[in-house]
Amino acid sequence: MPLITFGEAIRQAYREEMKRDKNVFLMGEDVGRWGSLYRSSKGLLEEFGPERVKDTPISEAAIAGCGVGSAVLGMRPIVEIMYIDFIAIAMDQIVNHAAKWHQLSNGKVKLPIVFKTQGGAGRRNSSQHSQCLENWFVNVPGLITVMPSTPYDVKGLLKSAVRDDNPVVFIEHKALYFEKGEVPEEEYLVPLGQADVKRPGQDVTIIATSWMVLFALKAAEKLQECGISCEVVDPRTLWPLDQATLIGSARKTGLCLVVTEAPAEGGWSGEASSVIHEHCFRELRKPVKRLCGTRTGIPYGPVLERQVVPNEASIMEAVRELVR
Amino acid sequence: MSQASLRELYGEMLLLRRFDELCLQLKMRDLIYSGYHPYEGQEAVAVGFCGALQKDDILLSTHRPHGHAVAKGCTLEAVLTEMMGRRTGCSGGLGGGMQYIDAENNFYCGSVVGSNLPIATGFGLAIKQQKLDRICMCLFGDGASNTGSFHEAMNLATIWKLPIVFVCENNQFAEAMPVREFVACERISMRARGYGLAELTVDGNDAEETRRVASELIELTRKGEGPFLVEALTYRIRGHYVGDPEATYRMREEVDAWREKEPLKCAREKLLRSGVEAAELETMDQGVKDRLATLQDWAVQQAFPTLAEGIDHVYLPLTQGESLCH
Repeated sequence: MPLITFGEAIRQAYREEMKRDKNVFLMGEDVGRWGSLYRSSKGLLEEFGPERVKDTPISEAAIAGCGVGSAVLGMRPIVEIMYIDFIAIAMDQIVNHAAKWHQLSNGKVKLPIVFKTQGGAGRRNSSQHSQCLENWFVNVPGLITVMPSTPYDVKGLLKSAVRDDNPVVFIEHKALYFEKGEVPEEEYLVPLGQADVKRPGQDVTIIATSWMVLFALKAAEKLQECGISCEVVDPRTLWPLDQATLIGSARKTGLCLVVTEAPAEGGWSGEASSVIHEHCFRELRKPVKRLCGTRTGIPYGPVLERQVVPNEASIMEAVRELVR
Repeated sequence: MSQASLRELYGEMLLLRRFDELCLQLKMRDLIYSGYHPYEGQEAVAVGFCGALQKDDILLSTHRPHGHAVAKGCTLEAVLTEMMGRRTGCSGGLGGGMQYIDAENNFYCGSVVGSNLPIATGFGLAIKQQKLDRICMCLFGDGASNTGSFHEAMNLATIWKLPIVFVCENNQFAEAMPVREFVACERISMRARGYGLAELTVDGNDAEETRRVASELIELTRKGEGPFLVEALTYRIRGHYVGDPEATYRMREEVDAWREKEPLKCAREKLLRSGVEAAELETMDQGVKDRLATLQDWAVQQAFPTLAEGIDHVYLPLTQGESLCH
């Protein structure tokens, strides 16, 4: 199977979906000339032309609203918000319109929009370019929230998101674009709302999202050497949540750690933890433990930013505490 | 404009006026549940602009939408029962008086001020790219012209040359904030210059004028010469909502002065001057009142949506996987 980067997997998904359906188009800041910040739409302007790969002004509210209006008339916009931090400016359109109009139209209007963005620390960009804001969207009825961690998943999930008739908030991670993984040459989809067991194990369940999946896998590898067998579960879609896979794993191991880069308070990590407590209370040997980003703005520079989000060492330590 | 055309516009405005009065009564009887935003005095904007659109054209409206909706062709039944929260409403009674969608009539309104301008760019883009014979009209108030969405959308619509007629319905107040204090320029239409567009202002109380300008701009927009931004000057005769503390932001004398210039009165006087008999207008009025009485009798009998209907349509089934509906 070819080994390609996360960014290239996104590019392949775009190309396949834009070839398949002429209504699919991409718009956002620098998606055309630059081919996006991390080159995930490189070459698409040349291939599909400026009507389908649209560079936009720095106007997040306008481009998000443009997604809403064009979707109602049968187009399938992919609206790229360059950094998730900037999505604050587009929130009104996403929350008050994209998420509401299907219901407000009594089911007559469809909003097949992908709001595609990227977040997280790891590239030394400080507090206004490094946040994990996925929790905002998980709490809004009407939205689907996706957070892939591998090239295989990002391609398959993006293709599903483009084909879905609901508005999808699709959140990539800036530290993942140059990570490589196996992606088959033949076409495939990864269904929305389906978790994936990234590594089977017996002793502890680690539920991790996005970039944290990579650290969890590295930690699991090392813990195996010490005789602790970890099962790493990636929900891939935060809502709808594949509860069955999470519950199944927690029942099997009886110990569970939830790892997110976003701060714990008021977030999805609490939701995942509650689902397991509600369904596996008797099977759990200890309460679910959470390891999350520090409740702080991300400090500048390579050293401090790594210290405020979970990593391989902190995950290993948290697992050791659970099994102790 | 011919006497017959003016008579027609007068009839449409009369319907909106009496409809507004009916809604006020229903609000007082607590049969309209949310805050009610009266439309009295602004009817010439609705009939002139919205009434000039074809059924296929898109209309994006505001939190004060019922005049626009009726003028666009939404039925009185659907608009009234939406406000009354009944199943027969445009949105099945789930939207209420300030956010509803009548997809068949291409009518969309919402209660977040300024948010419809960005959405208009999407309709405009789809119309242009799919080469449809349609246009989009976006109505917004003076208050919306102070939002960031206004600027972002005007700029995007202009650089992409989208087929949109933006109509600023300046009724002089954003809730309790008078335009003279809260808008930095003398005329909102002056802002058009910043986008390289013509500065267009129209007397929003003159139905013949609003219709003439609307038809012209719609025609030009159909030919691909859009977008346009036009400001229609009018006046909100009643409060932002029924029973708002009006004394905190305006003088009774000011309202009285504008009552002399309100569009229905102006059109009536013009018709009488042109030789139409007062009795004929009286008959017309009685006809509208009878029609609305029948409407009201019907509306109060309509059923409310069930909880199941109320929370249906939050999601469509996933492309793959299980249904997300309740």
